[in-house]
Amino acid sequence: MERVLLKNIENPNSADIDEYMKVGGYRSLPKALDMQPRDIIDEVKKSGLKGRGGAGFPAGMKWTFASADPKFPKYLLCNADEGEPGTFKDRPILEKNPHLLIEGMAISGYALQAEYGYIYLRGEYPDAKHALKKAIKQAYEKGFLGDNILGKGVKFHLAVHQGAGAYICGEETALIESLEGGRGQPRIKPPFPVNVGVFSAPTIVNNVETLANLPYLIEIGADAYSKIGSPDCPGPKLYCVSGHVEKPGVYELPMGTTLRDIIYTHCGGIRGGKKLKAVIPGGISTPVLPPDKIDCPMDFVNMPKHGSMLGSGAVMVFDETVCLVKVCYRALKFFEHESCGKCTPCREGTGWLRSILDRIERGEGREGDIDMLLDVAGNMFGKTFCPLGDGAASVVQNFIKHFRPEFEEHIK
Amino acid sequence: MITVTINGKGIKLEKPATVLEAARIAGIKIPTLCYHEGLELYGGCRLCMVEVEKMPKLQTACTLYVTDGMVVRTESEQITKARRGVLEFLLINHPLDCPYCDKAGECELQDLVMKYGPTTGRFEEGKRKHPESFDDPIIVRNMERCVVCTRCVRMCDGVQGASAIAVTNRGSHSFIEPFSSGEYNCEYCGNCLAVCPVGAIMSRLHRHAYRAWQVEQEVNTVCSYCGVGCSMVLQVREDTIKRVIPKIGLGVNKGLLCARGRFGYEYVGSHERLSSPLVKKNGKLEPATWDEALTTVANRLKEIKERFGGEAIAGVASPRCTNEDNYVFQKLFRAGLGSNNIDSSARLGYAGAQKYLEGILGQGATANIISGIVNSEGVFIIGGDPTHINPILGIQVRAAFRKGVRVITVGYTPGLERFRTAGLLPYPYTEGMLLSGLLEELLKIKSLPGGNKAFEAKINEFKRLSAGDIEKVCNITKEELSQAAKALSDISSVSMVIGRDIIQCTGASTNLFLLAAIAYILDARVYLLSERPNEQGLIDMGCLPDTLPGGRPLEIGSFRKRDEDVWDCQIPSKEGMTLMEIIESANTGSIKAIYVMGENPVYNLPDTNFVKNALERLGFLVVHDIFMTETAAMADVVLPSLSWAEKDGTYTNLERRIQRLRKAINRQGMEDWRILSEVGKKIGLKMPYNSAEDVMTEISMVSPLHAGLTYEDIERGLDQWPYKGEPLRQGLGVGDRGPVKIQMPGHKGRLYLSIEKPLFHSGTLSRRAQALNSIYPEPVVKINPETAKKFGLKDGDIVAVTSSKGNLILPVRTDKLIGESIVLVTNTFKGKGAMSLLSYKLDPITKIPCIDAVEVTIEKVVNI
Repeated sequence: MERVLLKNIENPNSADIDEYMKVGGYRSLPKALDMQPRDIIDEVKKSGLKGRGGAGFPAGMKWTFASADPKFPKYLLCNADEGEPGTFKDRPILEKNPHLLIEGMAISGYALQAEYGYIYLRGEYPDAKHALKKAIKQAYEKGFLGDNILGKGVKFHLAVHQGAGAYICGEETALIESLEGGRGQPRIKPPFPVNVGVFSAPTIVNNVETLANLPYLIEIGADAYSKIGSPDCPGPKLYCVSGHVEKPGVYELPMGTTLRDIIYTHCGGIRGGKKLKAVIPGGISTPVLPPDKIDCPMDFVNMPKHGSMLGSGAVMVFDETVCLVKVCYRALKFFEHESCGKCTPCREGTGWLRSILDRIERGEGREGDIDMLLDVAGNMFGKTFCPLGDGAASVVQNFIKHFRPEFEEHIK
Repeated sequence: MITVTINGKGIKLEKPATVLEAARIAGIKIPTLCYHEGLELYGGCRLCMVEVEKMPKLQTACTLYVTDGMVVRTESEQITKARRGVLEFLLINHPLDCPYCDKAGECELQDLVMKYGPTTGRFEEGKRKHPESFDDPIIVRNMERCVVCTRCVRMCDGVQGASAIAVTNRGSHSFIEPFSSGEYNCEYCGNCLAVCPVGAIMSRLHRHAYRAWQVEQEVNTVCSYCGVGCSMVLQVREDTIKRVIPKIGLGVNKGLLCARGRFGYEYVGSHERLSSPLVKKNGKLEPATWDEALTTVANRLKEIKERFGGEAIAGVASPRCTNEDNYVFQKLFRAGLGSNNIDSSARLGYAGAQKYLEGILGQGATANIISGIVNSEGVFIIGGDPTHINPILGIQVRAAFRKGVRVITVGYTPGLERFRTAGLLPYPYTEGMLLSGLLEELLKIKSLPGGNKAFEAKINEFKRLSAGDIEKVCNITKEELSQAAKALSDISSVSMVIGRDIIQCTGASTNLFLLAAIAYILDARVYLLSERPNEQGLIDMGCLPDTLPGGRPLEIGSFRKRDEDVWDCQIPSKEGMTLMEIIESANTGSIKAIYVMGENPVYNLPDTNFVKNALERLGFLVVHDIFMTETAAMADVVLPSLSWAEKDGTYTNLERRIQRLRKAINRQGMEDWRILSEVGKKIGLKMPYNSAEDVMTEISMVSPLHAGLTYEDIERGLDQWPYKGEPLRQGLGVGDRGPVKIQMPGHKGRLYLSIEKPLFHSGTLSRRAQALNSIYPEPVVKINPETAKKFGLKDGDIVAVTSSKGNLILPVRTDKLIGESIVLVTNTFKGKGAMSLLSYKLDPITKIPCIDAVEVTIEKVVNI
């Protein structure tokens, strides 16, 4: 498959506008500006593009909702708060291919008739910030952003806003709250951001990778696009693989490549020829899988059928040397640290789970601890406002589900 | 119509409602913790989870709006387990120190755990530790008990508008803290602790002094501090006020209070309270029996009346006393002593302005409901900061701004810094000119409505200033002025909030004329800020030299006749003297005796030395008070009266709502009305009262405004103007005004003294409230940092503030919101009142003492 999202990134100057244009960049924007906004949205709908942030919500449907809201102004936000542990798929786009994102946002902005866009950038990505700022400046200079884009009377302005390091701000309503200057905490839904988002205006929040798909989608058209990868959720997909593989990294593959293919074909298998023990397929919040479940196609539709989720496509591979109780403990330590504190079960439960796991891991676990872990996790799951609490609870539930003997061994 | 089924019960709803609200309508109880009516929805505690058909997960009842056909269950095994789980989570880091915690007995968490919670906990790890904070003078914060429901933050930020506290940190380390330690924006309203469901934020005033179940009596009454008249409940034990709390949904304040109202009650139990009548013997005040004291008062007054006539006697009534007290006061004067020389400190602003505006706009022109502010489309504020003077009214302005209402302020309004569309800051003492320019701009946009032709003729002949003139003299650009005019004129409802600073200044009546004209053109609702709880009531009771009870002009014989028939006496037809005229006449010797009820003229009137000298010349001075004030110390007879918490009666607030004051505490002594009745009886007057209610019965016969009004009516809610009465609506006067003088703005480099109206003090009472003193403990002089720099001063430096009338030695405090030529001092602390440095000129029409443009110098004092 030809690389779309990671095109030209071997070029050390790939982030420069001239280099981007040399390989065909900014050709889709004029094409899009000659279309009607409505037609672009229809094209996106037809393509079957699903949001790449983790939930896999159809992008075209989200756009239709925001577009149908009669209120103006509307805003386009790019969620670049890539904080899910194990995830680094957006980073190469932000640092090496920022113009792809900018072009994608300009097209989306026009389609949604939003005149302002923000890129909410993860606080720990300073290089991406510099790359984006430079790229935005260049795009303004060339007339791809501004009050009158390419002389076609279309207005779209873009700015980067850097987060302050809170995981929760990857949740779209918390992101909006934070962008407005508030404390990063999710907002009550409904109203949904498509109707009442940033500054109380209709707002679209899309992931970096989703928006970066736009130029290619417009270039080749929805029909051709929908033929890439899985028929139910097509397109190119970035998989970022970390852990005990020979060649960890970001891979652009057709959506629906199996987990086995990713690990053994593309990443060269388990490091040092060791045995695979467990895989987390889509970032820490997605259910862990044992080695016998890795033949599933990695897409939004098929992963749930195999007991997990595609999430952000962040594949974390653990070989036989890893203590999974410790992994579970580290995960809960992360969730405890990142819980915003709004909902009681998440605020108090994450710390409690962590402390039980801590004592099990230290060899001080007691009989009944595993059942208590499951009970406490059960009191959290489905009882919090945003998915952070569910994520924390499900890590515990799934690690125990697949690897209970290892936990029991720690306690004995 | 929305139909929802909860626990099998069908509920029909007219308006959209949350599941929680719908359940409450149906009488179904769902436990909650973070939910609080009046606060923004949050959905954080997760206690109110319910099952909803077709929704896979449990839903929070407080945030979910019902849709037609929704089927909800509030009790099930799954829900019970979830609730118990949440309560267990809430307790894992909770110190479980109920036996020691003052909140026990009224703690929502305690109640919920008793009802729904687990009996034992399973958490064995160490609990989170957080030291109790005593950083605040009156609030103690115990963050180990906090359940992070954020009610306090939502109150502080979303309702009070102070934004002093926030959730800091994250997750289980989330705490409620000031944004920064030390100086922060707290207004000490205590509304945070009122909504705290647990013992995390509590008042230090009654710390470890009693428990909720030990309250013997809860008395509904009205606040004693300002003219808003907030409803409150006094919690009493052993004849001591233990706590003051508001009542949600009750009164004008709807569950809110300010610092003075909530924490300022301690003066009632002060050891400085007067307990025995005092009579001056050999130049010294000595304890005496009531009979001796009352006989002395009656005899001396009788003597003076017989020798010099009633006109030689004057009375100073009190806007801190009840309607009943003030009614009997003026009756004693008119019917008993034959004098109309009755006035009060309301003359300093409120009374003069009220009479003037009513004269043009009609009686009741200022009787507007405070909650109307939030429903108007624009608010124009001049002459004071409502958030300090009348805090609960100020909150309404903030709420209005949040709602999108245009708020335009003129002058120093620090509490509205973040809540206004435009803030005009003209040079000191050019506000009147600004009004003239604003009128001119308004007339360019709007035409005169045509209702009061005579007044319109006056408006037309008034020589108005142009925007260009204003730019030159006021430091307000043409654009600022025309934008303000435009913002006020293209909307249909405007509220005008008028404070004392625009009234007690040179050209007071001209300013009032302009304010009336602007209100007339904009058809605005007028609100007069009122610094005392019963300024309006005192006016309505006739404690004015030219007005009988019910606001009836004294000069009209038929009105006099009506009262004479009830009182069985002759009322002198000659108009009496106003407050400063009384003092001036005492000075010249034509006034021989002054009767002061609950007022402190020596401290509260400008030019202290002059007032003192005048009072020294009197043949007889009698004072009722609860403290030995500066004035009482000079009296021939001092009569101890009862405080607001110790008597029944009524107050009338600035929106002219009449409200009941209820006795909460037993104390030996007499109410002011009873003392007056006793004196009256001794000089042969009929005073047929055994209770305050008896006085009200007579008021309802005498005052057409209160015709037939009873305590029961007030109780039933018939408390809003015009009660059952007949207001004089015609009042289409033209508004006489003084000569128009162009005041020159403060010359650069000169300094002028102005009175600070702090949120935390009111004067004689508040300085005896420990809590308020701990917030604002000592007198200071506030100046702009630039001014300080110019004089080589810094915060804390001791300076002498000197006017032609004297000087005060005070520490410096800088505040960048103050104008550079203004020096602010409060009139609160003993011996350090700003009034002592002020001189005055009387406005010829309203007789308001104008105390502006008093020049002062400040000089650093070395080696004090």
